Amino acid sequence: MALQGLEIRRSSATLRGGGTGLRKLPTVAKYIDTSICIGCKACEVACQEWNDLPLAPTKQIGSYQTLPTMTANFWNLIQFREMDTKEYGFSWLMRKDQCMHCDEPGCLEACPAPGAIVQYVNGIVDVDPERCIGCGLCETGCPFDVPRYAQGTNKMAKCTLCVDRVSVGLEPACIKACPTGCLQFGDKSSIVEMAKHRVEQLKANGFEQAAYYDPPGVGGTGVITVLKHGDHPEWYGLPKDPTVPTTVSLWKRVLHPIGFVAMAAAVFGAIGHFMAFGPKKPTDSSRETGGEV
Amino acid sequence: MSELRIPGASPVAGPTAIQVARRREDVMIGDEIVRHRLASRVIHWVVAVFFFGALLTGMPIWSPVFGWMAYFFGGLSVCRWLHAWVGVAFAASVAVMFVLWMRDMMFDAHDRKFSVVEYMKFTGREDPDVGKYNAGQKFFFWMVAATGLVILLSGIVLWWPTYFSQTLRSISILLHDVCFIAFFAAIVGHIYLGTAAEPGTFHSMTRGTVTRAWAKLHHPRWYREVTGGRR
Repeated sequence: MALQGLEIRRSSATLRGGGTGLRKLPTVAKYIDTSICIGCKACEVACQEWNDLPLAPTKQIGSYQTLPTMTANFWNLIQFREMDTKEYGFSWLMRKDQCMHCDEPGCLEACPAPGAIVQYVNGIVDVDPERCIGCGLCETGCPFDVPRYAQGTNKMAKCTLCVDRVSVGLEPACIKACPTGCLQFGDKSSIVEMAKHRVEQLKANGFEQAAYYDPPGVGGTGVITVLKHGDHPEWYGLPKDPTVPTTVSLWKRVLHPIGFVAMAAAVFGAIGHFMAFGPKKPTDSSRETGGEV
Repeated sequence: MSELRIPGASPVAGPTAIQVARRREDVMIGDEIVRHRLASRVIHWVVAVFFFGALLTGMPIWSPVFGWMAYFFGGLSVCRWLHAWVGVAFAASVAVMFVLWMRDMMFDAHDRKFSVVEYMKFTGREDPDVGKYNAGQKFFFWMVAATGLVILLSGIVLWWPTYFSQTLRSISILLHDVCFIAFFAAIVGHIYLGTAAEPGTFHSMTRGTVTRAWAKLHHPRWYREVTGGRR
């Protein structure tokens, strides 16, 4: 956390915060091609190892999926789904689930602890456990159900896009481990080019609805997911048109200003009322007119 | 030693106004009228302490503008923990206050005559039949009760967010916020009217008694009832 090499672009609950804005870096992104993921879980293991996360015993849940869902010490989960559709027949869908590193992160917007959630200048969204107060509001802000809370401390933990590796010029651990090349890492612009190219290939190979997932509702994500069935992201467990919940925006952008105005109005209203109408006191009492009590 | 006069009872010599004010309301003692017995005053201040506890631990979570408040409690993490417990204590004390005061706070036919505008102009013409509590005070009481309930329920959702659905959490954030803003504005008015705006009122919440003149001015019907029509 708080990496010296990276400036902060945005910081939670911070007015006029962030870095100097001098050192600019291109936004980075992770490329996930679900069409050639073989579900080997090498990325899961690499993530656990690099981030030194203790693994709890797993249970057989009748699926090629390690855990039912991500946990506070399991940030990278290959989701597995069996699909049986009229158009495409039977197929297995694998999708790597982790923090999406949104350009406009809902978690960051909802977070009330100054600097607990930051977005570095290269677009990586990270949590500072030292500043996290464990309130859980980030979960309400996240459209992808990513934040998880550590048992005992209640602090939020999630994928950091291996910011400690990226900041020294390495690729994230999961990318490093992928044997099929379905995971790639680089500047977002080049990753998007790569995704476009792959989508064209998929279309030429009969997947006419192929598309890459970079939802504009959250300003785009730092994870570009290529989907064979691009018209049905929900088949992969991805929300179709994710946005930061309107309640969170309403709360921070509308209710907060109204609140400040109402609080000031109450205080100045009372002062103004006193000056206009004075105290209401009886005329024939010693105590109320300033005599002894 | 002042004289205790209870309507319909024979005068008793002995206890001071303060001693009487510990136990009985709505009785005259010398030139003073006991308005709030000890139990009423204690619950009022218990509610007030927990209210400010919840307010000061909640405001730094609400906005970084009030982040400085967190340092009085040991930081924002402490506030996140303390706010929930103080909030529960606040809700519990409001519940006790509700039970103690509910009967006095029932709206009646007199309240319809109460003019808020006349009242706020301090003309003294709002209603000659104001009883122990005017319609505004009753409204404040019910507002505190209702808002207290909503802020408790939404607070429970925000306390353990992982156990509730996204929709419920979103709604709770908004409700908790709206209630807080309403509470803040209302409490500023409450403190203003109870101190600077109406001298003598604060004394009724500390020592329990008010003067006859105060009672005659602010709560004429109550004054007539307590004095048994005597002037």
